Amino acid sequence: MARVKLTEYKAKKLLFTSLKIQYEGYSFDDASIPFAKRLSADKKYVVKVDQGVKGRMKKGLVVLQVEAKNIAGIYKKFHEKGYGRIIVEPQIIYNPEQERYLSIERIRTGFRILYSRHGGIHVEDKANTMQESILPIVTNRSKDKSLYDKELHTIAAALGIQEEIIRHLHDFFTDYYCSFLEVNPFVLIDGKLHILDLAIEVDSTARFFARNAWSNEDIASHTQSSEEEQVVQQLNDQSQAALSLTLLNPRGTIWLLLSGGGASLTIADEFYNLGHGKELGNYGEYSGNPNEEETYLYTKQLLNLAFKSNQKKIRILIGGGVANFTDVRTTFRGIAKAFEEQKTQMKKHQTRVFVRRGGPHEAEGLSIMKEWLSKNDMLGVVSGPEIPLNEIVKRVINQS
Amino acid sequence: MLDIQTLRTTRKHDAIAIGSHKGIMQSMLDFEFLAGYTEPSLKAIISTGTKYVKLFFGKDEVLIPVFNQLSKLPGDISKNTNFIINTRSARRVLASTQEAIDRLPNLLVSVIFAENVPEAHAQQLINLSQENNSTIIGPASIGILVPQRLKLGAIAGVQARQLVASQLFEKGETAVFSSSGGMTNELIRSLANVGIHLSFAVSFGGDRFPAFSPLDGFLAAEKDKETKHIVYFGELGGYDEYELIEHIKKGDITKPIICYIGGTVAEMFATPPQFGHAKAMAARGEETALAKTKALKAVGVHATTSFSTFTQLVETMITRKSSSKKNTESESRLKVIEGRKASLFVNSVSRDVGGSVEIVGSELLKQAQSYSYGNIVMSMLLGKRITSKPLGNFTEFVLKLVVDHGPYVSGAVNTMVAARAGKDLVSSLSSGLLTIGPRFGGALNQAAQHWLTGTITDTTPDEYVESLARQGKRIAGIGHRKYRSDNPDPRVKPIIAYATILSHHRFIDFALAVEKITTEKKGNLILNVDGAIAGVLLDLLEQEEQYSPKDLQELIDIEFFNALFVLGRSVGFTAHYLDQRRKDEGLFRLSPQEITFTKL
Repeated sequence: MARVKLTEYKAKKLLFTSLKIQYEGYSFDDASIPFAKRLSADKKYVVKVDQGVKGRMKKGLVVLQVEAKNIAGIYKKFHEKGYGRIIVEPQIIYNPEQERYLSIERIRTGFRILYSRHGGIHVEDKANTMQESILPIVTNRSKDKSLYDKELHTIAAALGIQEEIIRHLHDFFTDYYCSFLEVNPFVLIDGKLHILDLAIEVDSTARFFARNAWSNEDIASHTQSSEEEQVVQQLNDQSQAALSLTLLNPRGTIWLLLSGGGASLTIADEFYNLGHGKELGNYGEYSGNPNEEETYLYTKQLLNLAFKSNQKKIRILIGGGVANFTDVRTTFRGIAKAFEEQKTQMKKHQTRVFVRRGGPHEAEGLSIMKEWLSKNDMLGVVSGPEIPLNEIVKRVINQS
Repeated sequence: MLDIQTLRTTRKHDAIAIGSHKGIMQSMLDFEFLAGYTEPSLKAIISTGTKYVKLFFGKDEVLIPVFNQLSKLPGDISKNTNFIINTRSARRVLASTQEAIDRLPNLLVSVIFAENVPEAHAQQLINLSQENNSTIIGPASIGILVPQRLKLGAIAGVQARQLVASQLFEKGETAVFSSSGGMTNELIRSLANVGIHLSFAVSFGGDRFPAFSPLDGFLAAEKDKETKHIVYFGELGGYDEYELIEHIKKGDITKPIICYIGGTVAEMFATPPQFGHAKAMAARGEETALAKTKALKAVGVHATTSFSTFTQLVETMITRKSSSKKNTESESRLKVIEGRKASLFVNSVSRDVGGSVEIVGSELLKQAQSYSYGNIVMSMLLGKRITSKPLGNFTEFVLKLVVDHGPYVSGAVNTMVAARAGKDLVSSLSSGLLTIGPRFGGALNQAAQHWLTGTITDTTPDEYVESLARQGKRIAGIGHRKYRSDNPDPRVKPIIAYATILSHHRFIDFALAVEKITTEKKGNLILNVDGAIAGVLLDLLEQEEQYSPKDLQELIDIEFFNALFVLGRSVGFTAHYLDQRRKDEGLFRLSPQEITFTKL
């Protein structure tokens, strides 16, 4: 994994603590709203879905001026739309014309800062007011920091705020290994900084260096994932290998067991480019040399999803490039074990399996699979790297 | 900037591995063997746990030395290292790369294999690379390949058969670049299948900020005279391709480019998905595969979002060499590799050659006729033929001197007790040998440690004695039950004479200086036989066989000095066994008077 979005609640907690501002928001993820009692009856609140959704205001996932007693009802409505996590904050009254915009993105050569005196939900319409500065990378090895200071000054002057604020935001950004940070909007009321909406993407690979400042629970996820996807997520968290599974179409007819980042993408693209994207049930990868047991458990979850599609005919593609280190024999044994366990169901769904894969112990792996598929009358194509990646996709489509 | 032609023409290019990834290193050695190299370019491994890593070069095994830190690397290796394959974990990547660049003056290219290196560290790697004009490829890269010359990393495959099938020993005109490791191999292989050969290939790695960016790669290809075409597999996510476009517009890159940007399938997802590689997520519009492809097409790149179209473009645009011709040299070398078998042990002592025994490289019978017993023993103990005559003579002298020290010592007593209990020869001898340890017979090794440490750490003998005294420790090699400074052990003088004929003898000098201090305290604290033998052996090994202090320390660590005692004294124990069996006094038993009972 790489760039992941924190929940707004976690993002604000981290940033506000770092800026020494007290944070008065709450996060809820169940209908009982246990914290509601602590909320004041005289105050008005903002209630927002906190699952990393873009354009929430336009999608009706933000409710303003809410009394504490009505929060539970709003939560229920959001829940019916498929959301489960909300953030509740005291409503702040300000003049919308004061809304300003600032974002920081980590780029190759440093940090791209975008900023404007005109922020808010319609920021895209005000693109012409947006300014850009690039902050250079400053480390303890760097000698010259003047460019950094100069850019900082420019940004602060343009926004009409203290340089210290920009410096703090940037320090926070680097301390927590952020990849992207967007404050839209922020306002100054009586000289005091109010961050109204905040989005932060952190670099998941840097959690150790960021002193474990966030955990998996702080990562915003858009929708409730299926049980099978959750099991694979857990499997991945506990494994050295990289296992991922995303449900694309619960009624899909083509199900993918892919490995290797680039080859997986190429195969999936090919289905999409040939106009068969809608038939894909899932996307996902098993990579990084998973063992037999892990591959078996992974395959089981994929089969579960495939059977739930209720499709009469199912196609499974075991596809990938020529692995450097993932053992084809070991992983194919795991897959064959799951197949063996589920063969009655597979036959019921008239399953046909296609294979294109290479790597260590390729010959043994392919022959294990070929033998099993022939015996159980599910053989589509079993091939090593002698046929191109796109060719196997054509074979699957032609037999669908 | 990376100059490919330099890589092709540099005759010798030494490499080291930081982190020990056997699969990758073996594939590099296989490549070089298949290319007809006479020795591997991999000179050292920075890792822990073992002293050597055993790899194949062709069908023979070679031992690549392991050092636990970069700072321990011998000077000539540090100086000659041009290439690094770094397989350390993500957390160690930045620090280890920084150290390597600081320490290795002639470093040209480092390949970083680890995935999950933080973006912030990648930014610093880019700075390091630019400031030091040293190419860093990766993170998450499987490496760089120049046909017939260089394979740094897993690139093009890790199995010898795959390397031959990918025709890496034919020079070509097509540069292959990819953000995906697997697709790098896939492209190389599929080009080979249609008879297209490489000028060079680089795997950039699937991270957001590859230290060696696509732009760096394309500029190197532009500069490279051998390269006529560029084939590129890119992915959605990041802005690297826009940097390329800027330079194509400026006319910095003019060679024809065929490219496929993967990731159109992302359009099917409701929210931007994260694919396998860290950078493969298009959070913003211009990062999508479609947007990038469109922008590349606009500047004349043969860009497509479909792999099928991509392969068709490659086949029609690039003139192929005849594909049927096989490289017979690499094919025949492959047969050598495929017939090999890993050994279970490595040894330098002896072997069987056509039914007769060979000891340290020459036939035993001949040696028995021309060398002394001492020479043969010492050569075998050191695992190589010694050249020093004095060392051989001294060994023989020592073997005689330690042969026995009377029946009273622990080892002899145990041998005799076992013999009288009716045990056989081997059991009785073993019972004696098993007694040898820290208090009995182990003094040689301990004394050697004292003289070595004292000498090489520049401690004065006074300080050394004082520090041991403070810790309440005895000094092994010093002290005798009977002999005193005014009544010296007659054996010591002839022992020391073997060292004093040498031009330098710092170890025995140190031992004697220690003796001078200890005898002032107490008359019987003289240099004893063990201490004298240890000192003389250290001097002989240093002066006559060029052993470094590090080599000597290793001998101490593996109990080499005690070995002489064990060998010599076995004669004594055996004699006592035979003697007891001849006398046959029956089972030995202590009487109650000989053991005092006391309550705790």
